[in-house]
Amino acid sequence: MIRPLAGTARIGLRFQFAYRSDVIMSAVALIAQVFLLRMVWTSVYGERQEAQGMTLEALLAYLTLANLQAFAINPIIPRIAHFRIRTGTVFFDLIHPAGYLPQMAAFQTGHTAAGLLLMTPAIPVVLLVGSITVPAQPFGYVATLVLGYAIAVMIALLIAMIGFWMMETGAISLLYRLTSQFFAGTMVPLSFFPGWLKTLAQALPFQYIGYVPAAVYVGRIQGGDVLRAVLVEMAWIAALAAVLWMVWRRAHRRVVINGG
Amino acid sequence: MIRVESLTKVFRRPRSFSGPFGSLRTLVTRQYDERTAVRDVNFEIAEGEVVGYLGANGAGKSTTIKMLTGILTPTSGLVEVNGRVPWRERVANARSVGVVFGQRSQLWWDLPLIESLRLVGDLYDVPAGRFTTSLARMRDLLGLDDFLDTPVRQLSLGQRMRGDLAAAMLYEPPILYLDEPTVGLDMLAKQAVREFIAETNQGGRTTVVLTTHDLADVEALCKRIILIDKGKVLYDGGIDALIGAYAPPRRLVVHLDDGTRNFDLTEGTTVTDLIARISAEHTVRDLSFEEPDLEGVIKRIYADHAS
Amino acid sequence: MAEILRTFRLYWRLQRATARGAMQYRLNAVISVLTGVVYQGAGFAFVWVVMSTFPSMDGWTLEEIAFLYGLRLTAHAMSMMPLSALIGLGWMVREGELDRVLLRPLNPLVQLMTKRMGVGQIGDLLTGVVLLVVAAPSWTPGKVAFCLLALVGGALVEASVFVAMSSLSLRMMDTFAIRVFVDDVFSRFGSYPMSVFGGVAQWVLTFVLPVAFVAYIPAGVLLDKTGSLNVPPAVAYLGPLLGVAMFAVAYRIWQSQLKHYHSVGS
Repeated sequence: MIRPLAGTARIGLRFQFAYRSDVIMSAVALIAQVFLLRMVWTSVYGERQEAQGMTLEALLAYLTLANLQAFAINPIIPRIAHFRIRTGTVFFDLIHPAGYLPQMAAFQTGHTAAGLLLMTPAIPVVLLVGSITVPAQPFGYVATLVLGYAIAVMIALLIAMIGFWMMETGAISLLYRLTSQFFAGTMVPLSFFPGWLKTLAQALPFQYIGYVPAAVYVGRIQGGDVLRAVLVEMAWIAALAAVLWMVWRRAHRRVVINGG
Repeated sequence: MIRVESLTKVFRRPRSFSGPFGSLRTLVTRQYDERTAVRDVNFEIAEGEVVGYLGANGAGKSTTIKMLTGILTPTSGLVEVNGRVPWRERVANARSVGVVFGQRSQLWWDLPLIESLRLVGDLYDVPAGRFTTSLARMRDLLGLDDFLDTPVRQLSLGQRMRGDLAAAMLYEPPILYLDEPTVGLDMLAKQAVREFIAETNQGGRTTVVLTTHDLADVEALCKRIILIDKGKVLYDGGIDALIGAYAPPRRLVVHLDDGTRNFDLTEGTTVTDLIARISAEHTVRDLSFEEPDLEGVIKRIYADHAS
Repeated sequence: MAEILRTFRLYWRLQRATARGAMQYRLNAVISVLTGVVYQGAGFAFVWVVMSTFPSMDGWTLEEIAFLYGLRLTAHAMSMMPLSALIGLGWMVREGELDRVLLRPLNPLVQLMTKRMGVGQIGDLLTGVVLLVVAAPSWTPGKVAFCLLALVGGALVEASVFVAMSSLSLRMMDTFAIRVFVDDVFSRFGSYPMSVFGGVAQWVLTFVLPVAFVAYIPAGVLLDKTGSLNVPPAVAYLGPLLGVAMFAVAYRIWQSQLKHYHSVGS
């Protein structure tokens, strides 16, 4: 069970390396993005010490981190799954003993690992252009981030399965990426969102991909709230697992009946 | 009509590097790899001729055609088509030639065929009156009426090719280049294409240069062929003369009890001698002759040239 | 002159034919337009959220930045709607489509431009025009004229950079990543009051890659915010001229790359 999945993860890793010039360009774009955010936020803060309970320093650290996370997590599953469904190669994934969803998740993990490796040279530059402090709560950060990553992968799997019902999913994945990044708070922390938008963002799971871990890192979320965040993340994972299982059963039946 | 003198094309490409930063090194390198695609080619084609331009893949066929149509500039040598140098007067040359690529359609994929033909008429400034008569002729010759209003993407390969031929001849160019026009077509469609080409050429109206891998096209249409290999002209002349000069020996195929054997009829042996000799040793069940054909001739020329 | 009119007439006919073809995939077209709107809307939502906490960004109010954003986006759509077909130029070269273009008696660039329809850019245009109209200062005929000229100039500036980069595809170079990056620079840095990026970046974005001329400088003049410009306000009137000059240079680059294609092929 583990061995074939490790193979799939390795393919994901190689896939990321194969497109390394794209990755390098997106690393450059990441640096530009962090630079832009830093300048814009510094400008609007002006003389102010603090806004919405965050100092400029903590905010810049938050933004740098959130963008690094978003860059590393960047879900590949919808794209690759759509491609394999369209070309019919999904058949091989379906008969594979490891199961379809674990394979896709393994692919994503390999892809993320390669992304992290490729990102290494960019990190010093990003840290220089942005600014970052030592983590306020290292354990809380790692816990919320790992769980957040699991949530991101599970949502990506859900999006990918739309491909079993619709032929064209490119626009949907793009829309998903835009909205998820916005509500993850990669450009603005959720605490800055005005009234109703904040309520909406806090009801959605996307905050755990960006805002929550980064806010824990810079100490915006502390103490008992970290523990609560971890518990809510686990609840989300359980809920998403149930949804995934139901959707997958329907998708599988559909593939079996319609022959892909 | 077409005059080609000492035409040579050398491709010079930056040496490509592999490994990390390979593409960057390729970009800045001053090292080049050279490859001569066409080497000192000479020929003339008179008005109204139908010439088969033959060669294996990579022999330099399409490079020559690209220079004749003005897509490529030669490294040295001269091309004159209708009194013009194609790459110097690209637009003027374009107006006087029709080009059909068997592999790639020039029609608008999502639009009905008739709209593609109208757009081609616009592009070549065909006046309305002439467009109507020309279109009527094409409809008649190519039987377009059944699918004139069908989007091109829904046409069969044969229908699409007929559409492409119509688009290429709509503005009545004096020269028609055909690059593998029958590739992938069934026998009936091939026949229709050949008939159209013959009809177009009738009375010496249109000069045709045809490249193809189907020698039946050549045998049906061309009196003359130009054969090239590795960028050089190997043969230029009539088909009959070619078969005469290069004809492989006729071959006797003998079916024996224990299989089939071939005997070449070399000069000096008569058929009766050969049969007598064979039947003395074996029991002959059946026998037949293989006549030399163009395909055998060309295979043999390539084989000679390669050694 | 007759040749120029003929070129325009044929461009129009070919483009209309391509549009008719694209309309066969209506649902696809609708989704593309919507995606454009959401994509650009999300970009502006950032500004809106930030400005809901802070009253001004370097002296610009939310409304003023919205106008700047709209100006940039409209100019972007104006440049990319006719040129978006060039995005696929590398593919067209590989597939031999360019050879067919060279066999026809019409300017190759004009033919290539009509190969595809920029449907997604309609979404950009909608978002841009809405922002422009909603956030507009009180119009006078002079301001309208200036705004239109600025849009043309800005569109030409972006178009020039795009055409120059696309022409490298004629050499079979993969320009996808670099094009995405430059597009990113235009959209990220062109839509904010440029002075927030600091003197060096502003200088680079004015004199090296003149993104500032697309929206920031003309918007500064229209909104009377010339304080943070690093050029005299009168320079804003040179925008259209700069656009024309840059496009002339870009076209020369295009021609030279096309000549290279004639000698090397694909």
